[in-house]
Amino acid sequence: MAAERILVAMSGGVDSSVAAALLAEQGHQLIGATMKTFCYQEEPGPSRTCCGLDGIMDARRVADALGIPHCVFDVEEEFTRDVIDDFVSEYARGRTPNPCVRCNSNTKFRDLLRRGELLGCDAVASGHYVRAGVVDGETALFRGRDPAKDQSYFLWGLPRALLPRLRFPLGELTKPEVRARARELRLVTAAKPESQEICFVPTGDYRDLLRRNLGERHDALRPGNLVDTHGRIVGRHQGYASFTVGQRRGLGGGFDQRLYVVEIRPDSREVVVGAREALECRELRVAELNWLAAEPPADGTVVRAQLRYRAPAVPGRVQHDGDGLTLELGQPVLAVTPGQSAVFFDETGRILGGGRIATAAMA
Amino acid sequence: MDRPALYFDHAATTPLRPEALDAMRPHLTGAFGNPSSAHRWGRQARAALDGARAECARAVGADPAEIAFVRGGTEADNMAVLGRAAVAMAAGQRPRAVATTIEHPAVREACDEVAARGGESARVAVEPTGELDDDALDCALSRGACVLSVMWVNNEVGTVLPVERAASRARAAGVVVHSDAVQAVGKVPVDFGRAGLDLASMTAHKIGGPRGVGLLYRRRGVELAPLLFGGGQERRLRPGTEDVAGAVGLAKALTLAVAEQAAEAERLAAERDRLQAAIVDALPATRVFGEEGERAPHLLNLGFPGLDGATLVMAFDLAGVAVSGGSACASGSTTTSPVLRALYGEEAEGLASVRFSLGRTTTSEEVSEAANRTIEIVSRARDLARARAG
Repeated sequence: MAAERILVAMSGGVDSSVAAALLAEQGHQLIGATMKTFCYQEEPGPSRTCCGLDGIMDARRVADALGIPHCVFDVEEEFTRDVIDDFVSEYARGRTPNPCVRCNSNTKFRDLLRRGELLGCDAVASGHYVRAGVVDGETALFRGRDPAKDQSYFLWGLPRALLPRLRFPLGELTKPEVRARARELRLVTAAKPESQEICFVPTGDYRDLLRRNLGERHDALRPGNLVDTHGRIVGRHQGYASFTVGQRRGLGGGFDQRLYVVEIRPDSREVVVGAREALECRELRVAELNWLAAEPPADGTVVRAQLRYRAPAVPGRVQHDGDGLTLELGQPVLAVTPGQSAVFFDETGRILGGGRIATAAMA
Repeated sequence: MDRPALYFDHAATTPLRPEALDAMRPHLTGAFGNPSSAHRWGRQARAALDGARAECARAVGADPAEIAFVRGGTEADNMAVLGRAAVAMAAGQRPRAVATTIEHPAVREACDEVAARGGESARVAVEPTGELDDDALDCALSRGACVLSVMWVNNEVGTVLPVERAASRARAAGVVVHSDAVQAVGKVPVDFGRAGLDLASMTAHKIGGPRGVGLLYRRRGVELAPLLFGGGQERRLRPGTEDVAGAVGLAKALTLAVAEQAAEAERLAAERDRLQAAIVDALPATRVFGEEGERAPHLLNLGFPGLDGATLVMAFDLAGVAVSGGSACASGSTTTSPVLRALYGEEAEGLASVRFSLGRTTTSEEVSEAANRTIEIVSRARDLARARAG
């Protein structure tokens, strides 16, 4: 491939560091960019996540080592509006959001491409474990080679028009290979631990953020009843925002069988609990669709649907309905959760598109 | 990236003048003594330090006893504000620090610190012309203050503040007055004594001197508590073994800057005006900040509509032009400058602010080339923004 000028997103983690190093090796002209998504100084606790202040310093050190310019872009306002506010309102509605999906779909890539244009860049690169290819003349995204790290689940919301200008140099690599490359290249980030937290919740407890943004008195944070699937009160909870469908922790003890959260009802502040069988879902509705393939699957098509990060994809039959679609699953799936993403693949691992799970019908 | 690099960030720092380096060299090598030592090495160092102090004093209209060498502008500003607050505390008073709304963070955040430690911090508004709100100033002074801080030249827009006038009002109110003169020295005529100041700060590296050395002017008789303890150096105001080479370099750079000030100011103002005119002619939507009143000759702050400051500064860098944008925060990203917000309110929003600062090494050719590249970068950015919107 001809040398390009590429704006490479560098979070300060090992993945994006190696992504930048690989592109540099291939002879591309790079500009490293770290996005500052919220004001770290006001945040208590250690800045452990990849995009914290330490992350910015690490990204800068890697950029220096690679001999490429590095800049920091403040996207706090957009990030707050597009990602944090959505995250908070989803929990307030009793749903479980994927903030990384929102960020990738609305903030990170759009913003970097816009800035990259101004800097004369041909493309934007990131350290996501996903592969780009061409199918019938159009750019397609595929699952990353490493099944344990594949991040295609987080990228279904990208505007299709942007795909030709995205580069994902880690798609063909496994995480151990990436770490090995980082060590070979003596990158300062080589031994950095995996970031698991949500970048804007450095304390690890998102409820602190909800309390700040919604207020202590919001319904989502007030006590309510635990009810069984027949509507009988079986206990109390301290706020439905602490729960997600399929959760077992935090329900208290004393039940004669293992109970799971089956549903969250924000209107009555009820958290419905039930046995494992009650979590089985055979049909779900998906809204806020986005298609990476030029042609969305026709009604009746069976796609492979992934309904949670790291969950295996399962076959499902598509039936469009207005602005969303209904997915009829070939086999029951446990704990399908409103607010999470449903991502559709074909049998080659190509991402066709996705949407947000609106409702899940239990069996 | 292949075109010659143009340095238009002299307000951030300047290259060391060869004369300053020559003056410093002996003190970095053979003459390494500690000025506090009684032996010949010490005496040699002491003599150099005293000489540098006398030279600095002459350059800024002070007596040598009124000059304390410190580690730079930030330290001098902190010493002035927090040192005066400590004097008030020792006298059993609640310290109250008054400053303008466009001070450098070294003053602004030191005032915040006075408030955080149980004192009070008050601000006096500044017009875009540089004029202070006299009523607000008198009002702030009438309530008593441990210090009034009024910067001489604003570092972002170049606005010259009426330091002498503020000093006389402060004197009338019995308030000690400080000025951050970091961007003023060598650019406008500066005479601390004649201006009626009690305290003033400056730093070497903005005028071709070395990094890490500056001075705090303290008029005789003005009480100031130290922030550091542990030695008698600098009349107990700034303990610690003195940086003799730094002081000598500062003295040399300062003497030269003051001697060259009038001619250099005229030259830089003409070049700056030419840069401004070329850019504004080609890009009429450009907003010029700081030209409403008297402006220091080396600064040009332009606001470009509809663009993002951080990306624009990076685009300048890629085009080989070193400029500053907004004010940097801990992460190195830029945000809308508190100074622009204080001076222009909402008018400053939505504009990408770029600061060009000229200096001793800036040539006419560089100015023409910087204008060309600026027009190229901003036009391209504007066209891209339009294409997206279109």
